[in-house]
Amino acid sequence: MKILVKFYDGKSSKEHMVFVKFSKDRFEIEDFNIKVDIKDIEISSRLGSTPRVIQLPDGSRCKISDNNKLDRILRDIGYKQSLIHQIESSWRFAVGSLVIVIFFIIFMLTAGADYTSKFLADILPKDTLVYISQKSLEELDKEYFQKSRLSDDEKRRVKKSFHLIGDYRYQILFRSSKTLGANAFALPDGRIVILDDLIELDRSKNYYGVLGILAHEKAHIDNRHSIRILIKNSIAISIMGYITDDISLLATMLPSLMITAKYSREFEKEADIYAKNRLKELNISTKYLAYIFKEIDKRVESKGVKSVPAWLLTHPSTPDRIKFFMDN
Amino acid sequence: MSLGVYSAWAKVRTNRYLFASTFLNGSNFEYNIDPKKILLGRAFIVIFYGLFMLFSNILGLNILSYILLTIFLLSLPWLIKQAIKFKFKTISYRNIRFDYRGESRDFYILIFIFISLSLMFGLIYNILPIEYTLIRVVMVIFGFIYLLSFIYKRFKELIINNVYYGKTQFNLNIETKDVAKIFFKTALAATLLIIILFTVGIFISISLQTIFHLSVSEVKVVINILGALFYMLFLSFIKGVVDGSISNLIRNSVTLGTAKFKGEIDSIKLGFISLTNILILIFSLGLLYPYAKIRYLKEKIENTYFACENFDKFVSNNINKDSGVLGEETVDFFDIDIGI
Repeated sequence: MKILVKFYDGKSSKEHMVFVKFSKDRFEIEDFNIKVDIKDIEISSRLGSTPRVIQLPDGSRCKISDNNKLDRILRDIGYKQSLIHQIESSWRFAVGSLVIVIFFIIFMLTAGADYTSKFLADILPKDTLVYISQKSLEELDKEYFQKSRLSDDEKRRVKKSFHLIGDYRYQILFRSSKTLGANAFALPDGRIVILDDLIELDRSKNYYGVLGILAHEKAHIDNRHSIRILIKNSIAISIMGYITDDISLLATMLPSLMITAKYSREFEKEADIYAKNRLKELNISTKYLAYIFKEIDKRVESKGVKSVPAWLLTHPSTPDRIKFFMDN
Repeated sequence: MSLGVYSAWAKVRTNRYLFASTFLNGSNFEYNIDPKKILLGRAFIVIFYGLFMLFSNILGLNILSYILLTIFLLSLPWLIKQAIKFKFKTISYRNIRFDYRGESRDFYILIFIFISLSLMFGLIYNILPIEYTLIRVVMVIFGFIYLLSFIYKRFKELIINNVYYGKTQFNLNIETKDVAKIFFKTALAATLLIIILFTVGIFISISLQTIFHLSVSEVKVVINILGALFYMLFLSFIKGVVDGSISNLIRNSVTLGTAKFKGEIDSIKLGFISLTNILILIFSLGLLYPYAKIRYLKEKIENTYFACENFDKFVSNNINKDSGVLGEETVDFFDIDIGI
């Protein structure tokens, strides 16, 4: 069985058009007086429509463009071929693997990231949590926080209110901030920072609104949300970076932001649900908490940062939260 | 799960396809490498990196990790050379291999020149009294671009002038001022484009407020998103234009023996391809990356010509020994763009 090939001897770049002959155990090029055992040649696997290469033991090479004819010959002489071309040229395999890849990515970004972050957050030693919290607090104290304006009596009453749900493992720190306004933060080691502006928004004498906020922050601590979000975000960014390669890092910035914002919204929702349930158990109305959110909403609106699109928000939208805590 | 082990095979097959589909004057290129070698290189890097992380983050043995880091930084020029050597040695054309015979020494010298020139540049800049604002600005723009062009030219020469096709050597002959001209032109065009973009941005924000009656904060959000998008598009456009112009310059100044190359890439068109690629990537969430990459490569390669009358004269140097794969993988692993 003969087939026309381009022959390169490997010594010069000269190209020769020659016929080569295949038989069951021999490979021959008559023009160059080459006769070798079929086991000694290496035939590259078919790759798209590119010419296939036959590598001879002496370093010379043949290139064949008529892939179908070569396949027929090789089949006839019983030469074992790799299946890879059949897999690569099958639409079913291509679409199938694309679907698998997409589902795998989605799985990694959802259940996979969930599981990994939970697993890693749970095995992190207490020392690490304390260290991270201490460092963050030092940084926040230096950059954003000032001393609290509250009187000792007010502080005592807030703490008393919190003792309805929390024990000695949690510690409440009072601060004020010119830039951060009405806000509260949960440090992973069990400390909760609450800012004066937020406490001042509470209408309830017994600080039941603040209690709701503290319950929300307690849920963040109990479920190690801050650590988990850190891990989840790194997972999301690495996955996006890995599948899209380096040049498109900028292009996938927006999708990455959306994913991390979504993770954050989920945790906030979880903490909100916990706060609502705890208050219900204690027979305390959640309307004080809703009232605080209403006040925050008013202030934010007057400042004019309201219209960030919902899918980029790290928290559920404030009107939604007000509605959530108003419903009983 | 193969844990990425088979990605070496995937890489080789992708490259084999890319090279085999690249035809120059009727013959295609050949990519010859055993994937196991790439795997070996990767394993070494992972171990090295793992040791570094172990020493620095877990054991707290900072001194050991600093030593490793120093070793890495000191061997970086050598690693880059290895990567370049590897890149060329794996490619053949008409069964004649390419080779790279650059010396590590030259890489160390070039990096030394670069560092000392940069330091000198910074020193002079700081010595000049603040009153000479104009001189400082001119110096920054012209001096820096010229410095960059000089280093770029030396780097390209170091690479291309040491490449062999069989026994025949490539020869690149460019002037710093040709490179600088391209950079200057681009900087000028970029400045103009930025001014235009700003004007358009202001125009859009005014019309959003007056025609669509959006609040100031809403306009801010829209402008921020549009701004980020246009910034990306702008950068990729400039990147394509520079790549096109530089590639033309190099192709037109390089010879292989007596045979000349010719680059007729439309750099503006390449810029637009690079720009639209970003849009393609955004809207496909990165899934159309292969399409975008091929589209770009195709435009570059299809406009490259090689004027050689007689192809039979190139002779093999008969050394088909493979060089170490370590360099290539290191450079790939740490994502250093050597930009050939």
